[in-house]
Amino acid sequence: MTKTILLDRLNKHALTKRVLLTMKLTWMIVMIMCMQVSATSFAQQKISITAKQVSIKALLKTIENQTEYRFVYSNNALANDKKISVNIHEVSLDEAMRTLLKETGLTYTLKESNLVVIYANKKSGKDVVVSGKVTDEDGLALPGVSVKVSGLSVASTTDGSGAFSIRVPDNSASLEFTSIGYIKQTIPITGSFMNIVLKADNRDLQEVVVTGYTTYKKSQSASASTLVTAEKINDVAGLTFDQILQGRVPGMSVISSSGQPGQSASTVIRGIGSVNGSSTPLYILDGTPIEGGYFQTINPEDVENVTVLKDASAKALYGSRGSNGVIIITSKKGKAGKVQVQYSSQYGFSNLTEGKTTMMNTAQRLQFEEGVGVDFKRTIGPGWTYSPKNPTYINGTAAFRQRADQILDSLRNINIDWRDQIYQNSKFQEQQASVSGGNENIRYYNSLNYYKQDGIAKRTGLERYSLKSNVDFKDNKFSGNVNITIGYSNSSFTEGEGGTGAGTAMSAAYYALPYENPYAPDGTLIHQGNKANYFILDQREGSQALERLQNSSNKTNQLKSVIGTSLAYQILPELKITTRAGIDYRNTTDQAFINPDSYYGSRSVANTLGGKGRFDEGTRRNFNIISTTGLTYAKTFNEKHDFEASAFYEYVYNNYNEFNYTGFGIDGRLPETPAGIINSAAFLPIVGGAKTTSALASFMGVARYTYNEKYTFTGSYRYDGSTKVAPQNKWHGFYSFGANWNAKKEDFLKDLSLIADLNFRSSYGTTASPLSGNYNYLATYAVNTSYNGIAGSRPVSPGNPDYDWEYVNEFNVGFDLSLFRSSRLRLAADYYDKKTSNMFFDQPLSALSGFSSLALSTGKMQNRGIEFDISGDIIKTSDFTWTLGVNAGYNKNKILHLTDAADQLLDGDTRVFKVGLPYGSYYAPNWAGVDPQTGDAQYYNPDGSITTTYNATTQSVAESGSLYPKFTGGFNTSLSYRGISATALFSFVSGVKRWNNEDFYNENQRYATSNQSLRMLEDRWMKPGDVKTLQRFDVPRNFTSRDIEDASFLRLRNLNIGYSIPKNVLDKIGLIKTMKLFVQGQNLFTWTKWRGMDPENNSVYGRFQYPNARTYTAGLSANF
Amino acid sequence: MIKNIYKKYTVIFSLLIVSASCTKLDMKPTDTIDPGKAFRNIGDINMGLIGAYALLDNTMIINNSIVSDEAMLPTENTVSNTDAYRWIYTGSSGSVTALYSTYYTAIDRINRTLAGMDLLTLTGADVAVSDQYRGELLALRAFMHFELLRAYAASYQNGALGVTYLNKSTFDFLARDNFETTVSGAKADLTAAKSLIPASFTDKSRITRIAVSAIQARLALYEKNWADAITYSTEVITALPLATRAQFPAIWTDASETEIAWKAKRVATDSRTGDVYFRQSGGIVLYAPSFKLINTFDKVNDVRYPAYIKFDATRTGTKSQYLVNKYAGTTSVPGLADIKLFRTGEMYLIRAEAKAESTGDGAADLNALRAARITGYSNAVFADKDALITAIYTERFKELTFEGHRFFDLRRRNLPVQRLPEDAINASGAVTLLPTKAQYTFPLPAQELAINKNAVQNPNY
Repeated sequence: MTKTILLDRLNKHALTKRVLLTMKLTWMIVMIMCMQVSATSFAQQKISITAKQVSIKALLKTIENQTEYRFVYSNNALANDKKISVNIHEVSLDEAMRTLLKETGLTYTLKESNLVVIYANKKSGKDVVVSGKVTDEDGLALPGVSVKVSGLSVASTTDGSGAFSIRVPDNSASLEFTSIGYIKQTIPITGSFMNIVLKADNRDLQEVVVTGYTTYKKSQSASASTLVTAEKINDVAGLTFDQILQGRVPGMSVISSSGQPGQSASTVIRGIGSVNGSSTPLYILDGTPIEGGYFQTINPEDVENVTVLKDASAKALYGSRGSNGVIIITSKKGKAGKVQVQYSSQYGFSNLTEGKTTMMNTAQRLQFEEGVGVDFKRTIGPGWTYSPKNPTYINGTAAFRQRADQILDSLRNINIDWRDQIYQNSKFQEQQASVSGGNENIRYYNSLNYYKQDGIAKRTGLERYSLKSNVDFKDNKFSGNVNITIGYSNSSFTEGEGGTGAGTAMSAAYYALPYENPYAPDGTLIHQGNKANYFILDQREGSQALERLQNSSNKTNQLKSVIGTSLAYQILPELKITTRAGIDYRNTTDQAFINPDSYYGSRSVANTLGGKGRFDEGTRRNFNIISTTGLTYAKTFNEKHDFEASAFYEYVYNNYNEFNYTGFGIDGRLPETPAGIINSAAFLPIVGGAKTTSALASFMGVARYTYNEKYTFTGSYRYDGSTKVAPQNKWHGFYSFGANWNAKKEDFLKDLSLIADLNFRSSYGTTASPLSGNYNYLATYAVNTSYNGIAGSRPVSPGNPDYDWEYVNEFNVGFDLSLFRSSRLRLAADYYDKKTSNMFFDQPLSALSGFSSLALSTGKMQNRGIEFDISGDIIKTSDFTWTLGVNAGYNKNKILHLTDAADQLLDGDTRVFKVGLPYGSYYAPNWAGVDPQTGDAQYYNPDGSITTTYNATTQSVAESGSLYPKFTGGFNTSLSYRGISATALFSFVSGVKRWNNEDFYNENQRYATSNQSLRMLEDRWMKPGDVKTLQRFDVPRNFTSRDIEDASFLRLRNLNIGYSIPKNVLDKIGLIKTMKLFVQGQNLFTWTKWRGMDPENNSVYGRFQYPNARTYTAGLSANF
Repeated sequence: MIKNIYKKYTVIFSLLIVSASCTKLDMKPTDTIDPGKAFRNIGDINMGLIGAYALLDNTMIINNSIVSDEAMLPTENTVSNTDAYRWIYTGSSGSVTALYSTYYTAIDRINRTLAGMDLLTLTGADVAVSDQYRGELLALRAFMHFELLRAYAASYQNGALGVTYLNKSTFDFLARDNFETTVSGAKADLTAAKSLIPASFTDKSRITRIAVSAIQARLALYEKNWADAITYSTEVITALPLATRAQFPAIWTDASETEIAWKAKRVATDSRTGDVYFRQSGGIVLYAPSFKLINTFDKVNDVRYPAYIKFDATRTGTKSQYLVNKYAGTTSVPGLADIKLFRTGEMYLIRAEAKAESTGDGAADLNALRAARITGYSNAVFADKDALITAIYTERFKELTFEGHRFFDLRRRNLPVQRLPEDAINASGAVTLLPTKAQYTFPLPAQELAINKNAVQNPNY
């Protein structure tokens, strides 16, 4: 390898030689860049020489023999190679070179890969030494920053404390400071000591696309992906990390499934691609796949960035698991330098985001009851029973009338807003401490987090402890890392969320009558069990819910750990072997308890067998292990041909175990423990559980070729073998192709300063969606039935012998454009067309078959859409910055084929699958309003005529829209002025319809003994000529298009105002390096037409789901 | 150097191949039974049979109560879906359509078990046991079809739309059979069953030979095959005499099985029969005995009255003071009561009606039954056949109330459902249901019609 390049700098005629040399140098440098890992430990090489009257050339040879330094110089420079004497021992290169070149008028510069270039120093003898210190914006020292004299090759780096020292010719104008992750700074030399502050550069991250198997420069990647960086994820209060991504990624819809603290959202990338399979993206945390839907214990504060992979060229690397998109989460890593201690803390509170439905208050309710009594002689409450208009009153005795008046008077004095009984203003706090640091070879990041969030529904909350430890190490050709995430969470849930049944907390907030005072004057809760002792005129629906709420508990604790380790070894400069193993382990314990000493627990019903409470406990253990081993070959040929290829073998194994039991006959002195259970025939306990395993083995290859930094072609192939599909379909291949054109490198754009960057990308490939069950293809029998206490068996599933993957073919084309100097305006846009074939449809079967459906793999569905992301720095001065960003995705979903037998199938009782329509289309008779003359409810027949006869079978049409949003996105803005910053995020979901099933109960004569919406009093037909929303009271209420409401919304998702305390103030205090104070709010405003509790919910119906909270917090973050 | 590189490559690739060979993809499901293992032996056949028995429930009982004149909706019931009570059900109303898929599911289980049985080679004592199981399976298949026929036949006449008779498990989309085809399918199965079930088998929770006779008798009544009805009811009456007045109350507390031919046993883990009339949670009477029914009883002398109907004076205000007592259960497990499917009382009424229609001497059976129920009863004389039939109908109303007969009995003779005004206070005008109305027959599930293009809905829906 020893190589000395002779350089004839001064020979002007040797032009060809110069060109040749330049080319060779460039080639070497590019080569070196590909060998990042091996170029590590040169700084440590020490030089010892003792020589008398030896030529400099010979001395350089000696150094080359001792170390890995290689010298490049012109023969002319050392033409009069004079002999010198040296005696140095264990010195650095710099010292050795100064000694050697002391009287030569030459200087040197150290390039990457130990290359030392020696050249004439024209201004020899007039060098000055400039020293200084480089820090980041928080004032923390930055080691390893490259310091270079502008226009020259003189360079140095900062040490562990950020200090540097460089010899510069005295006429040099400025120094350049560069470091990965920071914006390059060019500073004029002002004196012999300089303090430099480098600003973090997130655009640097934007330049790289990480897929988990490859890391390509954005200009060389065919992939459509979006990066969300730490400052958008950290510090957001009260949301899991997936919820935080709402409104951040174009084409990714994130919709909450419940306001329960810690509950994961429903995340869908580029439209739902499966009806009966899974549509959950694949989540990868530091290289280890983690389960979707279990993010309670994942601490968003530890997240450095999230990359969302959306197109086939990236997803196909994940083969049969990739079609729903891949979300790559990278946690924080330590930075070389002094130990950094960071502490942040925030406190706050949450309250209810009100829905649009107003329920009646006491006065309104009594008026309503009386009105119904007068018009329909129906008694729905004391408002009519004791009404002066009631014949019983008119014909009653004076004593009765006096008593009736008293009763109504006392009822009028009660006016309970039941929301106050069910909901609460809840507290929030979070504490985070982290310690990070390291040197060039080992870097570490450790954090501890405590998080406590009470829910806005009483009895709910989440408490979390989490720990994170990342260690990255490298030594010459060897590198690796270990990532450990451990979290423990405790969640508590409310009673009967998301149901319309009476007696549950969420529905009681609506159903309970306003004159239902839950408590007697002595504070006793009056419920169904003891109400006989009191004079009660209401339904006690609210008190029943309270009684249940107060005498039961429902808790889950979860221990989750994600442990991953990866190792890489650079065998040859162009060949690297990597191996990675990861474990995702979750143990969940669910516990439910009903107090035996309560009314709720004392009834001898199936739920509380024997009438002495109930205790349930169950554990669910999920264990997932992944191992990936592979080779990466990367080499650039002839400068222009940049080639990289990898081959991997991967094995994923999943093991799931579940065990649960239910005990009855609880001793009230031993609550919430199995010790309180009585085991006897009268209190027969129930035992259950499940076990299953699955595995996936894959062989894969991926390659990229870039020509002249302009044209990139990528391709991948993955061969997956799975236990989840029918044996004959076990193995299947998935492929992708992609191309990127880096147009900025073309001659016609190279010098155009308006366009800073321009890339066009396109890709096509196949993937599949992960299967939800493990052995869905099998016809099965189970023994979970019995008659007369004797066990029986029954067929469970008819099976699907052709069961195969649901294949997704996806095409993507897009571009990235940056405009103006320093890329002030950035735009990325993509178009995609995604087709799912082989899609599972449950072909409904005739009841005669004994099964409700037969799984078939015959469906086809298409998702097409466009998405864009624009961000720009509108104002950017040294003091004031204003940025604005908008991102949105429009998706059009269409069912292309159902089964060979049908092009329309019912989907539950309110939706339909129909070829040509989007998945999730509601199916209901069209509402034709209320007949102003009769007050009858009117419906449209399919022929357009209007009728008062309701017939769901013949009248239903799919014209009400679909449950899955068409248009989602967000816009964000941030302002910063000196130390003050403000950021806001709005998110929106549009083109989405949901079935509001709450109105069906709140505006229905059938349930009029419970409280009703104010519209039942004010907007109901009463007399001919009334033009009202609601029909005559006695007309049955039926499910129609009126119940399908627009659930689009725009939400001020997050508003954060922060203030960084000036450094001079902190310096006076000492100890604290930086400190930032902030206040923020989540879900502050919502604009929607939806009448139910919260438009943001992924359920097909609105049925008193737990609404999302509005949260306010204040906090501080400090570095020590 | 080149050689070195090749060496390294060789080592690496062989390592990769070694690691790839740890591919383990031969996992087996642990929590399910595949069809090949479903019926290995005679014990598994019994489990399949039990799986079919498990689907017997009280739906037929409550549906008959709600749509007929034997029950009323009290004001205190603000919690039920009252569409069925108000006769506004359609094919989308689960209350009246659920049975259709439940009983066909049971039939499918029976047919799969029979198919599994055919594949077994049995020896020794298993042969006799298998005959009994086969008999039970065939009889249960006949019974399930007959129940579907009672509920969903357009009418009980030859040529009318019946229900598809299934002799094997199928995914086909089949059309409905005519009434007479369903009947003959059931008759054939019952005849075969009778010869297979040994007389020594007397477990009343399952179908015995006497229970087969009872099913045959009822089927003959719906078929208007009076001779068969007399023959088969006589077989039951001979084998299982009527309970005495002293024995009678114990039948309804499940303390006695006198005169019971077959009953669906309920155990603690089952849903409770009586819950459809009285909701424990909140103590709500969901459906109360109608005043029409209460008024027909001799409250003092009729032993049936206290066994069937409970009066609770402590219930005041808008609460119903009358409660259905037939399925009250015990104080420790309220509402848990066996479902009496066939008993001798019904057999007397079948024979009385058959005789009245054929040989004309039905009064004797009617009087015998009344004498067994009413203290101090003296035999009545009936002016003509119509008077006798009317009396038999009234007696059926009383004797078999809340046992799933009333609505179907009215339909057998095309009689309207006629409620008293005091029973219809919460019926929103549902006082009379004429046979010309669609709701006079239960509709097939809308889902079935949407899926099965060969299925036909009952008239007028």
